[in-house]
Amino acid sequence: MANVNLIIDGKQISAPEGQTILNAALDNGIYIPHLCSHENLHPTGSCRMCVVEQQGVEGVVTSCITKVQEGMVINTKGETAEAIRKLSCDFMFKTHPAECTGCPKFGKCQLQSLSQYVGDTGRKLKANTISVKADETNPIILHEMYRCILCGRCVRVCEEVRGVGAIKFEKVDGRERVVIDGDSLKDANCRFCTACVEVCPTGSIREHKELAEKLIGKTREEGFVPCRYGCPAHIDVPRYIRFIKEGNYPAASAVVREKVPFPHSLGYICVHNCEMECKHQELNEAISIRNLKRYAVEHDDDSWKANTFHKSPTGKKAAIIGGGPTGLTAAYYLAKLGHSVTVFDAGEKLGGQLRYGIPGYRLPREVLDREIEEILAAGDITVKTQTRIENAPKLLEEGYDVVFVALGTHSGSKLPMKGNDLKGVQVNAAFLREFEEGCASVGKKVVVLGGGNVAIDCAGAAKRLGAEEIHMACLEAYDAMTASDEERAWALEEGVVLHNKKTFLEILDDGNGNVDGVKIQGIKSFYFDENRKSHLELEEGSEEVLPADTVIFAVGQRPEISMDPADFGLELTHGNYIATHGDSGETSVPGVFAAGDAVTGTQSVIKGIAFAREAVIAMDRYLGGDGDIEEKLAPDQVRDPHIGVIEGFGDLKREEPIVVPVPERIVNYKTCGPMDQGFDDERAAREARRCLQCDLRCDLAPQKFWGDYAKSGEEA
Amino acid sequence: MKTMEADVVVIGGGPSGLSATAQAAENGMDVVLLEKANVVGGAANMGMGPLGIGTKQQSDMMVDIDVERAFKKFVEYTHWRTDARLVKKYFENSGETIKWLEETVGVEFAGAYKYFPKSDATWHIVAVNGGIGRNGGAIMNKHLAEYAEENGAKILFETPAKKILKDDEGKVCGVLAVDKDGEEVQVNCKAVIVATGGAGDNPEMIKERTGYIFHGNMFNFAIPGLKGDGIRMAMEAGAATTPMNVEMMYILPNSDFGPDCIPSVFMQPNLMVNQLGKRFINEEEMQNTTFCGNAISFQKGAVGYSIIDSRIAKQYMKKGVDVVNFVHHPEDVADFQEAVEASIANDNPDVVMADTIEELAQKLGIDPEALEDQVDEYNEMCESRDTLFYKDPKFMKPIEKAPFYAAKFRPGAYGTLGGIKIDEDAKVLDDNWDPVPGLFACGTDTCTIYGDSYMFLLPGNTMGYCVNTGRFAGDSAADYVNDLED
Repeated sequence: MANVNLIIDGKQISAPEGQTILNAALDNGIYIPHLCSHENLHPTGSCRMCVVEQQGVEGVVTSCITKVQEGMVINTKGETAEAIRKLSCDFMFKTHPAECTGCPKFGKCQLQSLSQYVGDTGRKLKANTISVKADETNPIILHEMYRCILCGRCVRVCEEVRGVGAIKFEKVDGRERVVIDGDSLKDANCRFCTACVEVCPTGSIREHKELAEKLIGKTREEGFVPCRYGCPAHIDVPRYIRFIKEGNYPAASAVVREKVPFPHSLGYICVHNCEMECKHQELNEAISIRNLKRYAVEHDDDSWKANTFHKSPTGKKAAIIGGGPTGLTAAYYLAKLGHSVTVFDAGEKLGGQLRYGIPGYRLPREVLDREIEEILAAGDITVKTQTRIENAPKLLEEGYDVVFVALGTHSGSKLPMKGNDLKGVQVNAAFLREFEEGCASVGKKVVVLGGGNVAIDCAGAAKRLGAEEIHMACLEAYDAMTASDEERAWALEEGVVLHNKKTFLEILDDGNGNVDGVKIQGIKSFYFDENRKSHLELEEGSEEVLPADTVIFAVGQRPEISMDPADFGLELTHGNYIATHGDSGETSVPGVFAAGDAVTGTQSVIKGIAFAREAVIAMDRYLGGDGDIEEKLAPDQVRDPHIGVIEGFGDLKREEPIVVPVPERIVNYKTCGPMDQGFDDERAAREARRCLQCDLRCDLAPQKFWGDYAKSGEEA
Repeated sequence: MKTMEADVVVIGGGPSGLSATAQAAENGMDVVLLEKANVVGGAANMGMGPLGIGTKQQSDMMVDIDVERAFKKFVEYTHWRTDARLVKKYFENSGETIKWLEETVGVEFAGAYKYFPKSDATWHIVAVNGGIGRNGGAIMNKHLAEYAEENGAKILFETPAKKILKDDEGKVCGVLAVDKDGEEVQVNCKAVIVATGGAGDNPEMIKERTGYIFHGNMFNFAIPGLKGDGIRMAMEAGAATTPMNVEMMYILPNSDFGPDCIPSVFMQPNLMVNQLGKRFINEEEMQNTTFCGNAISFQKGAVGYSIIDSRIAKQYMKKGVDVVNFVHHPEDVADFQEAVEASIANDNPDVVMADTIEELAQKLGIDPEALEDQVDEYNEMCESRDTLFYKDPKFMKPIEKAPFYAAKFRPGAYGTLGGIKIDEDAKVLDDNWDPVPGLFACGTDTCTIYGDSYMFLLPGNTMGYCVNTGRFAGDSAADYVNDLED
């Protein structure tokens, strides 16, 4: 496009034909105040803040709707223009409160900034405030329309950009106002994308307080897209959900693979921190992100493999201790980076907790085996199973250039209490390992002590081994249990009886050295103090006995190494966890890195993977590489801002997965397939539609202030 | 992480930080100002102007005030519970600072004014459109920012400082901040000036340091971002701390963004009672927002009820209110009745209307008999004189005609005061009262000159203190940097 020449404030400017005077000025570091104008919206020329004087033209021209022309001479600071701006500012303050006190937008308000710039803090005209209550009844979005200056940016972004039209201008009692087009935002088919919040120049339309507080200290990307930020590996959730909606499942799967090498397993068992951050919870329930991920991976065509990176061999050797999700993630990326990798694992097969901690009825072994196979094919990886490494730094002496410790926590512990050595007492880690190996057994009446996901797995495994009565007792109240809602619900379905807020007094002896029951007592409160010491307050007279022939401790697991740091060769912490510095997993010995449960205590597969990625970056740099493991496996995605109307969008219910019913999943657990069957096509399609597409907000231009332009002008 | 170099880093871009930046830049320093918000000015964008003593404006308007008289008045008022050297230096320089703002920085003043009759005309109102308007502080702040930039200072918006860095010798050597993209920025420098404006938006710090409970017995302006960052960072860097206080006033917590007629009418010197139904103040003192705030916070439940009847309301709606001040000065309050009804319809808990005193008492949670007794006694005194608190008879208007109106005033504050110990040159002192090398502070983070109550008799004090100590800090930091280089 041709350029035209013009003069603004004495400065010779060349601007593309068709550009407005306002944009030409801003592009050239000349600030003209403007308010109703917004980079993503069509100009309306209504606020009159951007008026300028043009040589040879009577009065003023509105710079946001007037195009540049050859030979134009513009004066942005003329007296008439400035007088009109001040008057416009006064008009905005006719409806806006005269005082900024109590406004949460103070310091980030465009009206405040603008009035400061034009030197008119308003209030010259008689105030005519809009008397309307604050409306906190809608989810996510808060309306305090008594602050509205009727610039219409919210109405325009909702209509023009989003194609939704949930808010509109309307005359109420003879006064023009911005109102919801319906009884509530849900009723108006709002998509809750928060574009209106993003463009509102004043404090009129905002997020609810708790949501606004979550944004503090975060970047726009982090704050606006909480699911992605909440995922320890920062998987780009809205991007893959959009691909699913578009029917491009391989692309969706590729997005997941950009950050994790176990997408399918995670689709079964991930603890989904993303869902806990999902803003849809404000409407009803979170998006079922994990099931969508699993559905996408199940419909993958491996096209991502064409885009994955493989660097040429570096000649460096890496040893990995532990073949669980953390160790294998490190192996995968280190091999792709061109290093020669050896994985040592004490078990018979690779997989770590994925195999020996999570029962097969939850995670099918063919899924796990296929993913491990894929990882091992990523490069030069040698596997040495049934090989226990007694001392980590020794591997450096044996010729490895770097050592990564990802031992996991495979040693269960018993609480120090009377009867904990009786026949019939088992421990979580060993019990689940035996369950996997097919040699576990329980009696008829089982008591599981503990309230986490591992405890639920122990209860479920016991049920499948034929236990008739299963009780679970834990310190936590029902709502404070660390087990996920879903798993807890499944356990209840299977007949497990929960005993919350109980402490365990002793395991009773039947007189022959066998377990006869567990004596428990109710507690009023318990907490950990700053020294991680637990404090209990008991409820008088609430002792009871749970009859049992089997007791399974599920009260935490620890690394399978000696408490003496000299043995394993690394500095330890909190007993026998491995001490590391910073996020990169450096240990006390240079060249030895560590991550995963053996460092953090038992956490989750996704955290192990995320920490492994961080450690790989550090290890590659340590080996002389650039540490770059970012990859773009999915094709480009166009984020269509025009999301349109979906009738009843705000009330769309979360899709539940297909679950094999009880007793089928108990009786035939070896043959019925995974108990959680995930989504079928219809469920996946319906669920993907529910996503709020929070990431679209990032595409709207951030609000700018006069100080921003002054600076960019300087740089230009 | 990005790194930058500067001679002086200023943390916070309100009037104190801007003045410090402008002064240091004027003295030849390379200055970087770190501001959390998108706008310069901080809380002072709601203010109207700084104190000045011995100015052209005062002589033009024949105002009789000089440094000696102001100083004596000030130390009397504070019972010498103040840093007298700092106060003296501040007052002494305040006149020149007004001149500097006007002639060098380019700020236009409308003149020097009193806030209320008993005060002195020390308040230099920044002109808005050439005259008296609201929030001229915002305009002054913009001029200060532009003047600082003209002198080479860089202002980084949305870049909150996180930590003050010190070298091995214990000298300040930089500031760690985070920019708007979440990236860490380290600005290496020789001196740091802290000017973050107190902790008005930090209920925990307010409770810990002043004992007030935010939205319990204290309804201060919680200007977003005033978290006490500077106080925390300075203490981490070795600063001694000072007792903290609030800048007391009183407020209708839910009515500030509504029509001005509501606070204007209810702040008139009519009947004010406490939860026991008893008067507790000479209502003329309602013009002194500090004294009235103190008195309210002294009452049961920290609440004061201002009561009028419909005869008073009608008179105000027709002829205007009895007394006005610079903040509440509506041209007329003809919309009072309408505004009260709208407030009640919008569930604004500040305002109550009733057909009898008994009903009014019930709505306010006061024992009806006690309130009726008080109203009777008050009405009797309207016919003679106020033998309880000696209010001027012209403000003694009986409460007789239904409907009756009441508003619930609560203690408020502009923000917090104090926290960082400085000397009269704005050098930050440690527990031994030795300067922390390279560390300076100014403005509200350091303002403990008022003793127990804000000095309202010399209006413009807070902004005046900020601008003047800001300049002291800018000067001292420049001297310090120059000395290092010698």
